[in-house]
Amino acid sequence: MKKKAVKRILGIVCCMTLTMSMLAGCGSTSETAATEATQETTTADETKTEASGEAEVQEPAEAEPVEVTLGIWPEDTLADDIAMHEGFVETMKTKNPNATYTPAYYKYATDTFMPMVESGNCPTVFESWFTEPQKLIASKAVANITSELDGKGWLNSMNPSIKELLSDKDGNIYGIPRDGYALGLMLNVELFEEAGLVDADGYPLYPKTMEELAQTAKTIKDKTGAAGFVLLAKDGAGGWHFSNIAWNFGATLCIDNGDGTFTSNLNSPEAIEAMEFVKSLKWDYDVLTADPTNEDWGTGFTQLGTGNAAMYIAANDAVNQPTQVNGLPVDKLAMCAIPEGPGGQYSLFGGTPYMFSKDATPEQINAALDYIEVMGKGPSVSEDAIAGMQADAENKSAAGVPVIPRFPCWTDQAILDAEAKIIEDYGNVDTKMFQPYFDATSSEGLRSEEPGLTQDMYSELTKVLQSVITDKNADVTALMNTANDNYQKLLDDANSAN
Amino acid sequence: MLFQSYTDKKDGAIRGYDIKSPKVKVLAAVILLMCFLIVLICVFPAIWVMLAGFKDIKEFTRNATIWPTAFDFEKFRVTWKAFKFGKYYFNSAIAVGGSTICAVIFNGLLAYGFAVLKPKGYKVAWALVMWSLLIPATTSIVAVIRNISLIGLKGSFIPIWLAFGANAFYVVLFKEFFEGLPSELLEAARLDGCGVLQVFIRIMLPLSKPIIMVVAIFAVTAAWSDFLFPYLVLNGSGKETVMVKLFAFKDTPTDAVSVLRAVVFSIIPPTVLFAIFQKQITDSAAAGAVKG
Amino acid sequence: MRKRKSFKKRDLLGWLVMLPTLLLFAFYVWEPLLENVRLSMFSAVRYELQEFVAFDNYIKVINNPDFIAAFKNTFSYTLWSLVIGFLVPIALGILISETVRFKGLFRVGIYFPNIVPGLATVWIWSFFFNPGKTGVLNIILSKFGIDPQLWLTNPHWTIPLIIITLTWKSAGATALIYMANISSISPDLYEAATIDGAGIRQRIRHITLPSVFSLAKTLLLLQIISVFQILYEPMVMTNGGPNNASISLMMLMYRYAFRDFDFPSGAALSVMICIVLIILSGIYTVATRKKED
Repeated sequence: MKKKAVKRILGIVCCMTLTMSMLAGCGSTSETAATEATQETTTADETKTEASGEAEVQEPAEAEPVEVTLGIWPEDTLADDIAMHEGFVETMKTKNPNATYTPAYYKYATDTFMPMVESGNCPTVFESWFTEPQKLIASKAVANITSELDGKGWLNSMNPSIKELLSDKDGNIYGIPRDGYALGLMLNVELFEEAGLVDADGYPLYPKTMEELAQTAKTIKDKTGAAGFVLLAKDGAGGWHFSNIAWNFGATLCIDNGDGTFTSNLNSPEAIEAMEFVKSLKWDYDVLTADPTNEDWGTGFTQLGTGNAAMYIAANDAVNQPTQVNGLPVDKLAMCAIPEGPGGQYSLFGGTPYMFSKDATPEQINAALDYIEVMGKGPSVSEDAIAGMQADAENKSAAGVPVIPRFPCWTDQAILDAEAKIIEDYGNVDTKMFQPYFDATSSEGLRSEEPGLTQDMYSELTKVLQSVITDKNADVTALMNTANDNYQKLLDDANSAN
Repeated sequence: MLFQSYTDKKDGAIRGYDIKSPKVKVLAAVILLMCFLIVLICVFPAIWVMLAGFKDIKEFTRNATIWPTAFDFEKFRVTWKAFKFGKYYFNSAIAVGGSTICAVIFNGLLAYGFAVLKPKGYKVAWALVMWSLLIPATTSIVAVIRNISLIGLKGSFIPIWLAFGANAFYVVLFKEFFEGLPSELLEAARLDGCGVLQVFIRIMLPLSKPIIMVVAIFAVTAAWSDFLFPYLVLNGSGKETVMVKLFAFKDTPTDAVSVLRAVVFSIIPPTVLFAIFQKQITDSAAAGAVKG
Repeated sequence: MRKRKSFKKRDLLGWLVMLPTLLLFAFYVWEPLLENVRLSMFSAVRYELQEFVAFDNYIKVINNPDFIAAFKNTFSYTLWSLVIGFLVPIALGILISETVRFKGLFRVGIYFPNIVPGLATVWIWSFFFNPGKTGVLNIILSKFGIDPQLWLTNPHWTIPLIIITLTWKSAGATALIYMANISSISPDLYEAATIDGAGIRQRIRHITLPSVFSLAKTLLLLQIISVFQILYEPMVMTNGGPNNASISLMMLMYRYAFRDFDFPSGAALSVMICIVLIILSGIYTVATRKKED
């Protein structure tokens, strides 16, 4: 008995030592071998699928089942949205019976994304942020979907400037826009009314210049006690907003040398003037919220929506934030352009992209694109797509979110008309409240983010913002010089690495 | 009357015989007051979260008060429903239970090896374990997740449980305690012909209740609070824990007060558990730690 | 000497008992660490190695404009935690040891913050330190007629306040350990001191404190190690601001790895953190050993 037990234990030990030596000692080699193996299989898959794609042309009846995981599925708590998506899945069952669609709710976050990709669990299609596409393309974490888009005929419908944001240097495209956005100024109309800043028809007297912005903010602060303007200075979003202000003062913050290198330009007189303006908002006008260094993208909407602040730089794709999330009545939100400065009027624009797993096969990508079409987010005016748009508009309306036109990320006239029709049928707000904003964003003043390590530039600018807001005697020029040097140093590092 | 109890005070610098002096009486009273104040500071933030949960977002950001204007339990009910907390409580219970068992068994066994068996060459392993304390865990998370996927355990509770089996701090706690046990006892058991594992189960474990309790408490609180690692392993599997949901919840379109209400629900279970076992917990935390 | 001769069955059994746990350590800690060290010397796309670059990543990290600030702050965190985080639990332990009534309540009370999940703690304290008039601490101050304070926004307060948050969470558990230690002091010692004419203050100083200090030594090292790796508290509460006043080395690491997806640089930085910790622990061990002699 005992001997048998010993033998068995010895057997187990041998196995364990083997595994252990594999893990600890030869871990590296075995693992690279494993990843190589998987890589081989994926390339094999690709060739196979390409082959089968060709075969399909000959025998269209024989389609293999495709499984698509939907990272764009709504979060658990949003019952209405889930019901809507369940409807889409039903539609797809008849439209594309080969494909099965599995919910795999994933909210993009930079700390969870790479581990997920590395473990091969990225959903077929997911929604990312406007800051991410170039980074994701550079780290080869997303799929090239150029040929699939071409196959669907969507390639030329995409707004060219947004297409550029989603492409690599060779013109390959890696995503499609869920939405475009352009920064503007959101207004809390309740506070404007309280401060008497409305015209005879009840529309807010919005600021048209930077000077007026400061004055309007001051009036609101004096009359209502609420902050006039929300300035963000906690994280990169602060630098993001500031870059738009700086443009209006005539600054260009980063110079593209055309050879793949960039030069920092944070200490131009225009940029310094813009920073002086921000400083004056705190120390001369005193119109900001209690602590800008504590405000980030989300708290800004809380301040605006709950009536703690009257104006906030934000984009049309976030109108649910002050209203649905923070309780501002849907008819008390207005939007205008970011006020004009000495350098003109610009609106920073970009797009919230849908992107696709690097491991997705062409079939999966196609099936995912079909789904997006049914959601009404593609450049399609098919019956299903219209139904999708209607469902979305109805849903928004029920949730108290303003139904307003989206930024034209697809430029087909047919799709623009269809969208206009939806707004007409389902619109729940007075479009005049948003007119100044849409006038500006359809003008020449659209401008995409500065090139070259943008996140690092935002970090540097945010540090300066934090200094000028916490220190009345801060030397703006010196701080901008330091920021410029730091940013240049990072750019040099990146330049030499290229 | 209050001071009568001090006459049989067993520990500390103030002794039973001191209490007759009025100066000492004042001192004792002051200390008592300070302790009440300390406890207030310790529990106040949790009380505040509950009170804040009764406000709506407008009241929360605009009214400079701590007390809410109305106690409307409906708000909590809505958050509870939106979250489907019941299911995640259950998942958390499984994750915490398994983690705690693994924390005790695996680290206990290793410490048994280090403190009692001391096989040839054990010092190398001991040094490696100690070094693990110095390694920032956050960096290696990608590598760990990749390892887990490699052996096909993604979306399972097993990697969550086993992760608690490799904790250098718990090993140190166990080892220190085991070394304090009377070695004659172990010798005697060995002479009786007990096998290595039998000694562990029959002699070590019963003697080690205090330290097991301590490690179990630490493991329960740690397993309950952990979010990034469980998120990466469990998200999308239907086995998400409460903290995984809370971690994901902050990024959804919800206002700040709803998040606070969710925080309340995430504090309640460990608080209840703690309230039930408070005597055992504080006593054993004390007993187990004497060795330090 | 004779024992060393052979690798006995006993040794085998010993390793056998330890093996499962060692495997877990290999899987969760050691192998990922080795991966990291290797990664730190390569360039990479995502996590896949490209080419060997020796110490380029290390140089890049040191050249980062925020590196000096992060390095200084990390030591500042550690120093503040030595002052606040070390003394508070000892004080708590001594105070509660001197009570008789309500002792159970006190013990439960001070342990309570420990069971509040870390994520929740950080969120809650962010609201406490809100500098507006609706910030919880400012509401309390206003009851005493004190003007709203800036809290975390004041660069001189940021790190100490974050350490206070940490201490609020962890002091209770440590205090329990000290209390156990104090209650194990032999009453004879106090009695002998009383006969020698020592007052209560002297008894605490000459009897209670010395007996606690030996234990405190171990706990202090563990505390240094954990505070040196501070990450989530500053990240959520201040995001390293204002103007880098609270950025830590681990935050910088996090930014490399999880904002820029530059894993090699993140790995290089964490290897550097590890090295600094080894040196610190070494110095600490030597220093405390000397005092004992």
